[in-house]
Amino acid sequence: MNKQKLIGNIVKVSLYALVAAFFIWAISNHYFDYIFSEKETFLNLLKQHIQLVLVSSLLAILIAVPAGILITRPKFRKAEWLVSNFANLGQTIPSLAVLALMISILGIGFQTAVFALFIYSILPIFRNTVAGIDSIDKNMIDAAKGMGMKPLQILFRIELPNAAYSILAGIRTAVVLNIGTAALAYVIGAGGLGVWIFTGISLFDNGFLISGAIPVTLLAILADYLLRKLEYVIVPKGARRLE
Amino acid sequence: MHKLFKLVPLIISAVLLSACSGFGFGGKEVTVGGKDFTEQYLLSEMTGFLLQEEGFKVNQMNNLGSSVVRSALENGQVDMMWEYTGTALMTYMGQEPIPDPQQAFQKVKDLDSENGIHWMNMSPVNNTFVLVMQSEQAEELGIKTLSDLAAYVNEHPGELTMAAGVEFANRADALPGVEKTYGFEFGTEQIKQMDLGLTQRSLNDGLVDVTGASATDASIKRYNFTVLEDDKQFFPPYYAAVSINQEVHEEYPEIEEITARLAEKLNDDIMRELNYQVDVEGQSVSVVAHDWLVENGLLADK
Repeated sequence: MNKQKLIGNIVKVSLYALVAAFFIWAISNHYFDYIFSEKETFLNLLKQHIQLVLVSSLLAILIAVPAGILITRPKFRKAEWLVSNFANLGQTIPSLAVLALMISILGIGFQTAVFALFIYSILPIFRNTVAGIDSIDKNMIDAAKGMGMKPLQILFRIELPNAAYSILAGIRTAVVLNIGTAALAYVIGAGGLGVWIFTGISLFDNGFLISGAIPVTLLAILADYLLRKLEYVIVPKGARRLE
Repeated sequence: MHKLFKLVPLIISAVLLSACSGFGFGGKEVTVGGKDFTEQYLLSEMTGFLLQEEGFKVNQMNNLGSSVVRSALENGQVDMMWEYTGTALMTYMGQEPIPDPQQAFQKVKDLDSENGIHWMNMSPVNNTFVLVMQSEQAEELGIKTLSDLAAYVNEHPGELTMAAGVEFANRADALPGVEKTYGFEFGTEQIKQMDLGLTQRSLNDGLVDVTGASATDASIKRYNFTVLEDDKQFFPPYYAAVSINQEVHEEYPEIEEITARLAEKLNDDIMRELNYQVDVEGQSVSVVAHDWLVENGLLADK
């Protein structure tokens, strides 16, 4: 046990040291200067990036969670493979290809990028919703029926609270992926921090690259953190996983 | 067993061949670099064909940003490439533009000799930057020159939007320089940066009002855009020439003569036509490059 703890701590400390070293290196080379010298541009790109992620994620949640709930009703069980395959398909097409395909239909810009990111976010949310509801002990549902609950009551009082953890895990996965993928939105003129990342690649300028990439990384970490906090609020005490 | 016997000569020859190239017996090898737009794909491909014809083994590193491929040339990962005098002068060397093509070429050649890069065979292909608009809109707003554009933007700030690839949006010899020279600014929100291949299309679809292009671009003809006159002559000439690693040039002096054949035959109109065949008619770069070389007697038809 002590040995394990020691190794764990060593790994932790060296990781922190690495991160710190990276930041010291980047700052001493003035790689973050663009964020301050071109503040207006930076804030504009950040705003675009957050908009892309928010709109596409919310749409995905609005579509995927109800779809997951519907598919787990006895009436629609037969259609599960169909919807699952659709969601899978959305995930398997490379994100750049989705963007390229959508250009001919939706043109260039914000809405195309949002649509592509939305397609991309559906699968993890849908999958986790279905898995969460399926994992509930059948005996619990039987007990609820025995108490005289209606199907809707069972859904809202038993199934959703118990599946909440899984659903939120899916949303977290989707949002974090989405933040990274949104960097590709630049390609079709939808802006976002990808503009600076690609500028850095194209002009061979580490300043642009790091001023674009690190905020994207931090954004993903922040989103993950916030959604974990949300988990604490939403998931009932009894259904929490011990971590 | 029989099968194995059949394979023996193959294996022996494979071993011998790999040994040859490994030890440099007759293994003339050269890496040609290229940037990320059609004209460069074509130039790189043509050069590759001609060198292969002369017994070189050619590796290609295409589709790179200007600064990336330039760094590769400086550190020897790429042996040679077609570069534009204006780009080298202003972007890599930070010099002031020189309007006279020959003088510009000489200056670049002199400066680059310190970097171990040799310049040769300047072609008459001038791929300078231009700003273009939809003809109807340009007429409607009364914009014919870049001065007109500057005046319009200053009077109606935030109204016109512009599509640009990252290089055009950030390079001192492109948009920032134009804005400085003509005294106007689009504003960060108005500049939509995107993949270079989509800029003309987004102008044609009316998503933006202005975009940058190169003078040999096929899309100008394709979409019937109006080229805004550069009335203050901000954009210097960008003549295509071969820039090659000095050591490679000394090792294979014949490359100069081989690429000279190509440089002599090319010009703006030909380049525009070839770009058109690839971009608009959708023919493959290899086919267009090969056919043109054969038609002009630079390559034997196989």
